[in-house]
Amino acid sequence: MFASDSYCRDMKKYSHTAVITAVAAALLIMLACTGQDKPEGPVTLEWWQFWTDPAVKPVIEEMVTEYEAAHPGITVNLTDLTWANGHEKIVVAFSSGTAPDIVELGSDWIGEFAAAGQLAPLNDMIEDTARLVGWKPAVYNDTIYACPWILGTRVLFINRSLMEQAGLTDLDIPVNWDKFREVCYKIDSIGDDIYGFGSNAAEKHRLYKKFLPFFWSAGGNLFSEDFKYVTIAGNIGYKALMLYKELSDSCSMIDTQRRLEDAFLAGKIGIIISGDWLLRRIKNEKPGLDFVTTLMPGPVYPGSSFMGGEYLAISGSCPYPGEAMAFIEYIINAENQIRFAKANYSASPSNKEAARDEFFKEDINLQTFIKQINISKMPPAIPEWVYIENIIEEKLEQVLFEDAPPAQSLYDAKLEIEKLIHDK
Amino acid sequence: MKTRHLAGNLFTLPWILTLLFFWLFPLLYSLYLGFTDYRLLKPDWTWVGLANYAALVSDRDFLDSLLNTFIFVFGTIPVTTVVALILALLIERRFPGRTLFRSGFFMPSITSMVVIALVFTNLYSRGGYIYLLTRMIGLSPPENGFLLSDKTALLSVMAMDVWMSVGYYMLLFLAGLKAIPDELYESADVAGASPFRKFRSITLPLLKPVALFIIVINTIKSFQVFIEIFVMTKGRYDTSTAVYFIYETGLNQFRFGYASAAAYVLFLIIAAFSILQFSLLRQRRLY
Repeated sequence: MFASDSYCRDMKKYSHTAVITAVAAALLIMLACTGQDKPEGPVTLEWWQFWTDPAVKPVIEEMVTEYEAAHPGITVNLTDLTWANGHEKIVVAFSSGTAPDIVELGSDWIGEFAAAGQLAPLNDMIEDTARLVGWKPAVYNDTIYACPWILGTRVLFINRSLMEQAGLTDLDIPVNWDKFREVCYKIDSIGDDIYGFGSNAAEKHRLYKKFLPFFWSAGGNLFSEDFKYVTIAGNIGYKALMLYKELSDSCSMIDTQRRLEDAFLAGKIGIIISGDWLLRRIKNEKPGLDFVTTLMPGPVYPGSSFMGGEYLAISGSCPYPGEAMAFIEYIINAENQIRFAKANYSASPSNKEAARDEFFKEDINLQTFIKQINISKMPPAIPEWVYIENIIEEKLEQVLFEDAPPAQSLYDAKLEIEKLIHDK
Repeated sequence: MKTRHLAGNLFTLPWILTLLFFWLFPLLYSLYLGFTDYRLLKPDWTWVGLANYAALVSDRDFLDSLLNTFIFVFGTIPVTTVVALILALLIERRFPGRTLFRSGFFMPSITSMVVIALVFTNLYSRGGYIYLLTRMIGLSPPENGFLLSDKTALLSVMAMDVWMSVGYYMLLFLAGLKAIPDELYESADVAGASPFRKFRSITLPLLKPVALFIIVINTIKSFQVFIEIFVMTKGRYDTSTAVYFIYETGLNQFRFGYASAAAYVLFLIIAAFSILQFSLLRQRRLY
């Protein structure tokens, strides 16, 4: 069932209300800021963040200490979250009125918190949006609610030793789907416990991130421009799904992402789709692995990939939004993003100036990520996204693991997602 | 006298307060929430009457999770009970290394469920020992491992659960066996009863209270199966159970109203089964 006229009217009414609310909130914050340009007493900012890795946490602490030294009267209290239950803690904190001033959010959470009115609008506080990439998930109803910090995309990791064993050279590194398929099959034919491709099992929040790059690379878009219709069920969606299914059925190890990466490190898988965390694992656990990274292939070169990331947002109840924003500006500046990337060996700064640094140019694999980011896509910032990804994954699972008819499953996904966004 | 009462009341007050605030209040509050559309991030929640319960009746995910829960309960309880009884009868006899066996069988019960679930996830995976063993004896395990197949995932979790809990129930049966007076067996010997007759006419009837206790607590525990599913499959491959559904709905989607309603449906099912078991096992005289 497609959108009705009343739905459109409602949407207009809601978007007007949202714009008025956002403008009013921005005015209030501006008034508040003018009233307290320099708060009289000491300012304490609470910052909840997820970086607990022993290689990264000291850098975060160092940045905070330096900031406090340069801004007497401002204290930043760090609280660590974990990916296992961080989202729950943030939700509970927002709903109980105990939210921190600054909070690190995953890209697909921003819509949820922005729609609930829990985040401060940042449009009038951000100095320059053009210097950063990755704004899409941070914008809800034309209002910016978070700043992109550390982005993350996925590229192809290829085991060169296995390519060699299969009689392939670097010239055979896949640049399009046909070559991709050919390389996977050839590596798979090496032996019984060698697999051409690592295909994800039914694993929540992961499977759709592997399928969508195929869909996007073929030119697909999930939604129509007016966001009323879902366009996954057409010819492009079908072709992308058939390729993924063919690889999955014919020449893949099917397992969880973690175990696929274990198998890649063990030299059992020829090609795997993964993020820059795998670079860190290879560096720490298997430095001798002969591998190469390359951009996701499409029907033509290059293809698109999935992009997510870490964002910094200010709670709507923060009493010092100006100070909080100044601190965020400090964290996302080019110098600090490079420091962070060096500590984390990550390849995806949101700051364009940081991405041009020599550190990234010197490492061919980091360069792959930097290039892929510029042609990757992000899901929209809508509170229903978590349900939408669930629907997509459910249908993918039915096709990949229960042999459901692909065209019908994609059409069912389209209907279910449209119902969801129209019923909201 | 009054001072004694006052002192008594003061001593019990912490427990009563704890009970009221951390048990009774959440219990009643969640009952209330089940009639609302409360979501954590939605401040304007409203009373929806029985709408949540009506929606649950036609919610395919909830019904599937209930079905999986019933399969889990009725698949594990009889096996666990019978195996625990057999082990208790074997362990009760005196033989060298008896203590070692008893400790060995009991060990999984005092080990963290998360640890066991992680170990079994590896054992069940492609290349894991159980996977390789089944191939070695000529069977064909699912290509991607036991936990990545609709046909075997739930069964594998159930098998692990039986392995893990059987030692604890064995100990309970052992305690029950020790409580049976030796005179009864001596009289039966004098009367020339066969071992099977002694088991059927003395052991089994006198173990009835222990069996009832085991079945009831195992039923309650099995209906609430969660950790295994959370660690091993995350509800994928047709393994979502009622509590996992409640967790997903409440703590991932934050639909507290709907999740509370689902929790009360599960509560009613467990209560009904417990009452049924008590009445069935109490009524019949087996000796």
